[in-house]
Amino acid sequence: MIKISKVKEAYSEIESIVGEDYITDKDFMKAAYSRNVDPAFPDRWADMIVRPETTEEVSEIVKIANKYKIRMVPRGGGADLVGGSVTEEGILIDLTRMNQVIEFNKDDYYIVVGCGITWGALISHLHPTGYTTGVIGPGSGFAATIGGGLSNSTAGGGSTKYGLVPDICLGVEAVLPNPEGTIIRTGSAANKYAKPFCRYGVSPDFTGLFMGDVGTMGIKCKAFLRLFPDPPYKQARMYVLEKEDYNKIFELSHKIRFEINEGLRDLSVLPAIMVQFQLAPQYKQRTGTQLKGKGPLMNITIEAMEESTLDLKLEKLAKIMENDAERVPGSFIREDLDDEPKFGYDLEGTFHFFQASISPMPAQISMATCHKIPISHMGQVYDKIVDFSKKNAAKMGAGTIYPGIFASMLYFLPNGNYVVLGGVGGKNIEGEREKNMENWHRKIRHQVRYGGAHYWLGESISQSVTEAGAFTPEYEQLFRDMKKTVDPYYLLSPNKFHLHTYDSKFKDYYVEEED
Amino acid sequence: MTEFDPKIKYKHLAKIGPNVLQCIACGDCREQTDYTADPPRWGVCVAKDHTSGFEPFFARGKMQIIRSLWQGKLDLSKEMAEVIYQCPTCNTCAEACAYDMDNVALYEALRAELVDAGCGLEAHVPMNKAMVELLNPYERDNKLKSNWLEKLDFEVKDASKEQAEILYYVGCTAALTPDIENVAVNTAQIFKKLNLDFSVFGEHEVCCGSVAMRTGDRKSFNTVATKNYELFKKSGVKTIVTSCAGCFRTLKKDYADHMEDLGITVYHTIEFLNKYFNDNDVQLKNLGLNATYHDPCHTGRHMGLYEEPREILKKIANLTEMKTIKQSAKCCGAGGGVKKGFPELALEIAKSRVKEAEETGADILVSICPFCYRNLSDAIKASNSNLKMIDLTDLINQALD
Repeated sequence: MIKISKVKEAYSEIESIVGEDYITDKDFMKAAYSRNVDPAFPDRWADMIVRPETTEEVSEIVKIANKYKIRMVPRGGGADLVGGSVTEEGILIDLTRMNQVIEFNKDDYYIVVGCGITWGALISHLHPTGYTTGVIGPGSGFAATIGGGLSNSTAGGGSTKYGLVPDICLGVEAVLPNPEGTIIRTGSAANKYAKPFCRYGVSPDFTGLFMGDVGTMGIKCKAFLRLFPDPPYKQARMYVLEKEDYNKIFELSHKIRFEINEGLRDLSVLPAIMVQFQLAPQYKQRTGTQLKGKGPLMNITIEAMEESTLDLKLEKLAKIMENDAERVPGSFIREDLDDEPKFGYDLEGTFHFFQASISPMPAQISMATCHKIPISHMGQVYDKIVDFSKKNAAKMGAGTIYPGIFASMLYFLPNGNYVVLGGVGGKNIEGEREKNMENWHRKIRHQVRYGGAHYWLGESISQSVTEAGAFTPEYEQLFRDMKKTVDPYYLLSPNKFHLHTYDSKFKDYYVEEED
Repeated sequence: MTEFDPKIKYKHLAKIGPNVLQCIACGDCREQTDYTADPPRWGVCVAKDHTSGFEPFFARGKMQIIRSLWQGKLDLSKEMAEVIYQCPTCNTCAEACAYDMDNVALYEALRAELVDAGCGLEAHVPMNKAMVELLNPYERDNKLKSNWLEKLDFEVKDASKEQAEILYYVGCTAALTPDIENVAVNTAQIFKKLNLDFSVFGEHEVCCGSVAMRTGDRKSFNTVATKNYELFKKSGVKTIVTSCAGCFRTLKKDYADHMEDLGITVYHTIEFLNKYFNDNDVQLKNLGLNATYHDPCHTGRHMGLYEEPREILKKIANLTEMKTIKQSAKCCGAGGGVKKGFPELALEIAKSRVKEAEETGADILVSICPFCYRNLSDAIKASNSNLKMIDLTDLINQALD
C-alpha cells in the first residue's frame, strides 16, 4: 500500500509537468480505466491517470515516480486482452496523446511515429502514398497502438511475409524507468549523428530489449518503423481441404512457401470444426451449394507489383492445391466478399472479425491463449490441444467457448512457425473472475510446457510463463540483472512475469505440471 | 441495511436491459481510422478529439463508468456529470462498434440518473425549466413563435383551429431565432408552391422536448410530450413534417408510442419533399452552386436519412463531399446539450467541421438542421471562413422558381 500523502505529493508534481487537464485521480476516471478485454482480472483502479504529450514529459513523470517509489504502468490503446494496461494503485500512463506521424521518409523507407498512434491511423495515412509497414497491426484491432504492438511482439495482417511487429521496428525512443528518467534512442539513432534508418550496426541490439517486454524495460514514446513499397496487386484464394489432416497442411504450406515465395503475403487456416459446423452450413443456406471437402480452410493472400506476376503466382497456387483441396469463393467466409477478393479482408472486416471472435456472445469474453509453435509440430500439437480441452472441459465450465476446438485460426509466420489463435471463454461477471483466471493460467502453463512461445504476454500470460518454470536460473538471473539496470526499484509494470523485486525468485511462483 | 440492487437504484439504466454490460472494452470507439470502410472513417469521437481525451470523454470510458455504477463500485457525482455532458451524443461510437449497441440510449439513461440524483448540469436547468413553463427552451415568450409567419405573403392555417393534411412542426430554433427563421419561411413557401395543404401551431407550438431528453431531464420531457400528445390528438393530424433534425428524431423515435397510438406519420421535410418530387416528377433548377453537405447526427446516424438530401442537392448544386460523411460524418458539436453547457467546446468542434468543409473547395455548406446551422454559422464567423451556411430548404425554394 502506497502512502496517500506520497501519492498526493506525486500528483501535485506531475500536474505541474503535464498541466491540470492531463492528470486525474477522480473515482469515475479510475473506474473508466479499470478493465481490459478479458473476463478474468478484477477491476483495478490506479491512483492516478496521466496523459503526457512528449517524451520529456514522460521522463519527468518517471523521475517523480522514482522519487516517491510509486509503480507505473504504460498504456496504449487499451485493447489489451491480457491484463497489461491496467494497474491496481500507482500511475497509469496513457500514451495516446503521442499519436503523431513525426517523419515520413519516402526516400529511405522509414517512418517515425509517436507510439500512441493507432494502426488504423498509420495505415490510412500511408495508403495513398504507396508505402506500407508490411505487417499492419495486431489481432487486438486497428484501434490498438503501435507501442502496444511492439510491447507485445504481436503479429497481424501481412505477418506471413513481413513478420512480427518488432520485425519492422528499426529502433525506439524510450524512457528508462530509473530515477533519472533517462531518454535513449536505439538502432542507428543511438548514433547521435545518424537518422533512425536501420536497426543494427551501432551497438548491441538494444531495440530488442523493448520488444515484447510488455512495458517492463522502458516506456516507448517514439517508434522508427520500416516501410516497403505496397504491392498494388493483391488477391486472396480460399481452399477447403478434403479431410482434416494437419500434416497435409504442413506439406502444402511448405510447398506454397517455396514456390510462391515472396508473393505470399498471408497464409491462415481455419480449423475443420469451424468450417464444417459454421461456414459450410451458412454457405449452403445462402447459395444452395454443398461443400465437398471435409477438412480445414486455407486462406492465402498473394501480392505482386505487377498484374502478370500475380496471375502467375495464382496459377502456381492452383497447381499446388489441385489434388488436395476444393477452391471456394470469398463469400464462403464472408458474405460481402467477392469471389476473387482483392485483399481477403479489409480494415473494417478485420475490426469486426476480431471483436466478434473475442466475444461472440457479449456476456462471454475469450481469454487469449494465442501462441506460436513450429510448423512441423502441427499434427502433434493438434493432439495435445484437443486432449487438454477434453480433459479440462468440466473445469472450464459453461463459460467455455468451443470446448474441444483446436484453435480459432492458425496463422503462418515467415520463419517456420505459426500462431495458434484461440482462447478460453469465460463469463464476464464478478463471481466468475477467479475461476476464469485459474483456467486461463492452467491453459497457458500447458502450452508453455509443450514448447509454445506466446503471441502476447501482458500480465496473465507472462506470469503463466514464469509459473510453468520456463526460465532456467541463469536466464532468470540475466533477466533480473537487466531489469535492475534499467529499473533499480522495480517500479515499471511490476506484476508482469512475477518480476516484483530483484530478490524475489521465479521458483516461488512455480506451479507443478497438472496433467 | 438493504442490499444494493442496481435495477432499483438505476431505473433508467435498468430499462436499457442487458446492453448495459455489453461493452467488452475493445476501444474501437476510441479511434477507428479506416480508409477501406464505406464511407471511410477518419477518427470517431469529436468530444475526445477536442477535450483532454481521457477515457470517459468517449464511449468505452462511459461504458466502464456505467458498469462500475451497476456493480455498486462508484457513485454518481457532479464531477462525473461535467465530463458526461461534454458528449454531443452524435452516436459515431455506435457506428464504430462491432455490436448492436444503442450508445445514445445508454448515455441518455446515464444522464437521467445524474439528473435524478441532483447531479445534472446547472446550465441545463433554466433551459429545461423554460421548456416546461414557456413551452420553449430559449426562455422567450412563445408568442414570438408566430413572428416568422409575418414574412410570408400568404396565410397559413392555424392547426389549433383548423385541420390540414400536413402539420408543419416548425421547432423552437427556427421559430425563435431570427437568423434561422428562413428555414421556416422557406419550408412554408415550398409547401405553398407545391399547393400542399398545411398548418402550423404558431405560438401554440410546444417544444418537442428534445433538449430535455438529450440532457436527462425525463420529467420535463414527459411533461411536454404529454402536452404534444394532447395537442396532436385534438388537431386530428395524421402527417407531421418538420425541418428540424432534433424535432424529427424526437417526434419519430422518442414519441414512437404516442405516434403509433395516434396513427401519425412523421417526416423530415427533406424526406417528405424528396418523395414528393420523385412521385410527382417535380423538376428542380440547377443553381450552379458549389456545395458540400453536412449530415446532422439526428437525421443521419440517429435516423438513417443520408441519401434523400443528397439526391435533392445533386439536382440543385454541384456537390463535393467532405472527408467524413454519412455514418462517419463528424458531428457539428452542438447536440446533446453541449452548445448550452459547453459553448466553447461546441464552437471548437464546429470549427473543425467547417475546416473539413473548406477543404472541399465548396462555396456553400448545406445542412438540414437549424441547430447545426446555428453552430456551424458561429464557427464560420469565428474562423473568418468564406463559406456560406445554407439550409437545404433555402436552395429548394430557389430551385422551384
